[in-house]
Amino acid sequence: MADSQKDVPFKSVQVEALVVMKIVKHCSSSFPTTATGSIVGMDTNGVLEITNTFPFPTVDVSSTDSHQNDASSLAAAAPRAKANIAYQNEMIRHLKEVNVDANNVGWYTSATMGNFINLSFIENQYHYQRDNDKTVALVHDVSRSSQGALSLRAFKLSNDFMAAYKEGKFTTESLQKSKLTFKDIIVEVPVIVHDSHLLTSFLHQIPALPDNPTIDLPTSLDDIRRDPARIPAHPSFDALDVSIDPFLEKTCDLLLESIEAHYTDLNNHQYYQRQLTREQFKITQWQTKRKAENAARLAAKQTPLPEDEWQRLFKLPQEPSRLEGMLNAKQVEQYSKQVDGFTANITSKMFAVRGNLLPE
Amino acid sequence: MAIDQEHFVHLARPLAPSVLGYGGSSAPLAVNIQPQAVFSIIDHAVRRDIRDTQSTRVIGALVGIRSEDGSEVEVRSTFAIPHTENEDQVEVDVEYQKNMLALTLKASPRETLLGWYTTSHELNSFSALIQNFFASPETGTFPHPAVHLTISTEAGQAIETKTYISAPVAVNAERAAESCLFIEVPHKLLFTDAERAALGSVTAAAENENRSAPIVSDIENLAQALETVSDLLERVSGFVGDVMDEEREGNHALGQYLMNALSLAPKVAPTAIENDFNNHIQDVLMVSYLANTIRTQIELAQRLATAPLVGGEKEGEKKEGEEGAKQEGGRPSRGGKRGGRGGGRGGGQRGEPREPRESNE
Repeated sequence: MADSQKDVPFKSVQVEALVVMKIVKHCSSSFPTTATGSIVGMDTNGVLEITNTFPFPTVDVSSTDSHQNDASSLAAAAPRAKANIAYQNEMIRHLKEVNVDANNVGWYTSATMGNFINLSFIENQYHYQRDNDKTVALVHDVSRSSQGALSLRAFKLSNDFMAAYKEGKFTTESLQKSKLTFKDIIVEVPVIVHDSHLLTSFLHQIPALPDNPTIDLPTSLDDIRRDPARIPAHPSFDALDVSIDPFLEKTCDLLLESIEAHYTDLNNHQYYQRQLTREQFKITQWQTKRKAENAARLAAKQTPLPEDEWQRLFKLPQEPSRLEGMLNAKQVEQYSKQVDGFTANITSKMFAVRGNLLPE
Repeated sequence: MAIDQEHFVHLARPLAPSVLGYGGSSAPLAVNIQPQAVFSIIDHAVRRDIRDTQSTRVIGALVGIRSEDGSEVEVRSTFAIPHTENEDQVEVDVEYQKNMLALTLKASPRETLLGWYTTSHELNSFSALIQNFFASPETGTFPHPAVHLTISTEAGQAIETKTYISAPVAVNAERAAESCLFIEVPHKLLFTDAERAALGSVTAAAENENRSAPIVSDIENLAQALETVSDLLERVSGFVGDVMDEEREGNHALGQYLMNALSLAPKVAPTAIENDFNNHIQDVLMVSYLANTIRTQIELAQRLATAPLVGGEKEGEKKEGEEGAKQEGGRPSRGGKRGGRGGGRGGGQRGEPREPRESNE
């Protein structure tokens, strides 16, 4: 990814604490349905500052479980829906009046275990990036954040991919020519969390590690229970949770899904290729037949029939787009990196547990 | 997680006659404030524009959820309202408030207008005016009381929050619009579990001098957490050591508490631990290995698919078939269900006729 770093107009994304909280709140309250919203901010000296955000209105699908997927897909498509573009402009106009940065700099979406790379994501980001190069997609992973560490990542499409997507052609030939691989689709931008001065002051009032060495000692067990120790928010002790297996399992499921998608994609291509061979075979047959006929007519001193009529008679099948396959490959890469991260985590925890339970 | 909890005396609120007709309750009101609401207010305070107003405070509306009986409200979000305040008059952009409220409610239809906030603790006649606006039947929260939240944003001082509701009070009818009785109600700052992680990274940023911090990976986060825990343990064991060496007065309650905590440590046979440990770690490493194999295979398939040679696809598919078989074999302890699924497909693929082109494994 390092080589594609150069075509990014900004080096990092600086997210205000307010934005972090708002996104997390919106995403987790609508979980497991996908949540999307718009972000505003400005770009200064190669850092894209994201200073405020607002959610997109959700279409009111009846909230039964069977419609959950509909709601999800609608929400996923929200950033490029016409009604929402109007909503976004209206909202930004209003925010401008209270001195909020009035530049749209992209959008955010929620994800579960890193399963955000799909056509919808690409289309949304393309929609934004087409008009303004300095836009970014923030992805908040609700499931991963529940393990203790916040998972908020920023992505944008690479310029090569933008060009390719504009043409809308993802055939083998065009990919060979442009040398575009799945690794070049999206570029990740490092995210930095930033607090304002006033907020820093506020946050220091929220429980931190006890700094006063002499505290009043409790007189009974009840005292301790009544006034439990306040656990500071950072570093979060949720990260020490030993049960990580559900996460691994979920990722495995998603991986298998991806393999399935990969397989479907391959089948499509095989079908296309068989179809192509068959058509080409027919054409060759027709051509040889026509040649023989012409030879016969020439011998009989007649005018030869045209030999390029096959272009009208036969139609070559359209090559299916390679984009799905590329996205799938990217998604698999993302999953396996995630598994690597889990493994690193769980093995260290397991060694810690063993060391604790089995004193040398 | 709730902070800012304190003991509180509820005062009865004098009821206006008109409220009685609507069955308004005099039950105590509890206000829960979510952190992003406070964050928004603070952000608004930082971005205030003091060019054409004499006041340093800003105002805005509180939006959130009211419980069914109206005894509890939860402030979920806020939006700023432009206003100007001079010595003898206050101007609030009512049109703006109406539009913004409609826009906000469009995105979260379950929420309602709850009240308003300002960034100074001062309660004056302007406050009463605005409060009456927010509590009125046409433009406000009537018959429920409007909540007024004040946050002090004075630089260099602690940030305090206070919440009020109001009752109408006036000497005569003409002055009713600009006076009201504010009654303080208790409030809590409420963090849900989902926000813990976010708050963690935000707090991490607050601890740095430049008030910013990168988002750390899981493993770094784990390392930090472990360091903190081991520091805390060190501290406790230091305390215990001091007591043992009779350098410090012991404490019965603490001793009892520690004993209780220690007795929770499980007693497991070392062989069982060893066994479980090995099994589990093998599983985990296997999953990691397989995930990386799948990645490599698919990457290869992608490369071959666009490589300028014929039959690239078939190789990709072949590998994938083997992948399924591997999944079947590589998962002995983790339930037959998923392994069976992968294996079933692997088997199905093996049965299919395909070009006998060997991959270069």
